[in-house]
Amino acid sequence: MNVLSSFRSLFRPSPSITSSSSSSTIFSSLWKPSSPSSSILTRHAAAPFSSTPRAMARDKGRPRTDKRITLIRYHLMHPMTPRPLRFSRLRSLRHWTIHRAWLLYRRQQLQAKERSLERQYNSMRDACEELRAHSGPEGARLFRASQSKKGIWQGVPVEYARLQTDGPPRDGFNEGWTR
Amino acid sequence: MSGCKRASKPLASLWRQGAKGSCPNSTLGVSFRSFTAGPARFDEANVQSSKADNSAFPDPATAVTPSEEEKLIKAGILPVGSRRRRLALQTTANIPFEQLPYQCFQEARKVLQADREEKLKQIESERARIAKLQSQDPAVSGGEVEKARRLRSMQNYLEKLKILADINDPLIKKRFEDGQGDMNRPIYRYLADKKWREYQRPLIVQRITQMNVVPDILPHLDPVADVRLAFRRHNIQPGQFVDSRVSESPARLKVQVFDKGERFVTVAVVDPDVPNLEKDSFDYRCHFLAANIPISPTSTSIPLSRLSQDSTILPWLPPFAQKGSPYHRLSVFVLEQPNGQKIETAQKAVERDGFNLRSFADKNSLKPIGAHLFRTQWDEGTAAVMARAGLEGADIELRRKRVEPLPYKKKDGARYR
Repeated sequence: MNVLSSFRSLFRPSPSITSSSSSSTIFSSLWKPSSPSSSILTRHAAAPFSSTPRAMARDKGRPRTDKRITLIRYHLMHPMTPRPLRFSRLRSLRHWTIHRAWLLYRRQQLQAKERSLERQYNSMRDACEELRAHSGPEGARLFRASQSKKGIWQGVPVEYARLQTDGPPRDGFNEGWTR
Repeated sequence: MSGCKRASKPLASLWRQGAKGSCPNSTLGVSFRSFTAGPARFDEANVQSSKADNSAFPDPATAVTPSEEEKLIKAGILPVGSRRRRLALQTTANIPFEQLPYQCFQEARKVLQADREEKLKQIESERARIAKLQSQDPAVSGGEVEKARRLRSMQNYLEKLKILADINDPLIKKRFEDGQGDMNRPIYRYLADKKWREYQRPLIVQRITQMNVVPDILPHLDPVADVRLAFRRHNIQPGQFVDSRVSESPARLKVQVFDKGERFVTVAVVDPDVPNLEKDSFDYRCHFLAANIPISPTSTSIPLSRLSQDSTILPWLPPFAQKGSPYHRLSVFVLEQPNGQKIETAQKAVERDGFNLRSFADKNSLKPIGAHLFRTQWDEGTAAVMARAGLEGADIELRRKRVEPLPYKKKDGARYR
């Protein structure tokens, strides 16, 4: 917890600093008389014979680093990046054990959830079948009412009746599917 | 010293003495610490004990008193870790890994243990189901073919369960990483196979396909066994150029298979790059051939020089390349013999020159399971190696035939201006 709270200041810039800095820039741009001519003069004084930036005059043949590598290095070396986990042998084994147990626990939870959903679906299907086949005319009426899809997509676009995918399925729609 | 510390000192010293006296190898998950969280202050018992073995040189892993530290530093050895860690090591040295008193770790172990128990139960029930199916009449289980298919799939599931029961054990992982895994157990074979398929298998597949060993010598190869090659102490990487003096002595193979059981294999070393001047092309030559070599996941070493007389068909011929010929690919093939059968080794028909591994494998219905490859070329030792092996041709230098340029009429100079 202590470690996390020490990171918090890194991830969330403190409001006092940002507000003060932003207000100071606003004030300076508002109240200070801007002097573009003077800034140009100073730049010319630094590089008197050329107006192009100095970086462009550097030697063309020097080895250029790939921009992606620069970006990766920037983010890896950034102070906001948490340090990599460096553990001793036994410590990393303990870490691995805990990680595996966590994965196993998550998987067990997922399986339990899927099993319960499947059970619910099956029992609802069985109840509908019971209504349709063995419950007389009153049951048949209830079955028809239960199968009616009228109004269930009220207020929700009907496109959401099916899981949205990026493209059509590879093998098309199976018209001949039966249970 | 604060009042709290002073109050807790005799208690802590009592604990420590009790731990040392009654159960020195106690494996309880309790570490004896005084109630202080600051750097260790020593009670009388500890000071006395350190004074008693002052004559011995302090251990840098457990030296805690300033005098011991000073002694170590004077000797040029820095104490290991922090003083607190060293003190903890002193009092809790003999706790086995699985009993380390970390709460989250212990909770995780409980979860994994429960899963393992469940997997063991599943293994039991699957074994019972397999036994039941085996004793069943094939007419009931839907015919011989269907029964065999179901048995196979149930066996596969059983193997999978065996691996799943052990895959989460940290000690098994540790033992495998230390190279102490018992290859008779499926989990270690599974881990070794996975590790081999990470790097070594892609490497050998790349080499044998890049250097066209596979379509040149055998039409197809899907390696399932790890093959390592060494000459005396030189481990050879796949495709490496080997000095002819190094490869003069027979190689030593290490063939690691990842499925259980013993089987017989045939080992063939074939050179497909022997120049044939009459045909203006290249021939095969067999440098070594041996059959009926028993290997299993635990017996992996095949020293080619120390195989029995009746299993060796063609003894080792030192690889050589004549001067001027392009490099020779010496490919080592390990082929599995079908159903543990032995093949006839007293074959008169096997000749070194023009040996064709395809037809040999077809005739004996061998299945290639692994390969290795090294290269040889003319070097300063080749002539002596050939002389010692009684081979001729060391005094011949092969030259490429000069390709006469086509008749070419020089165009007028105006075009080249």
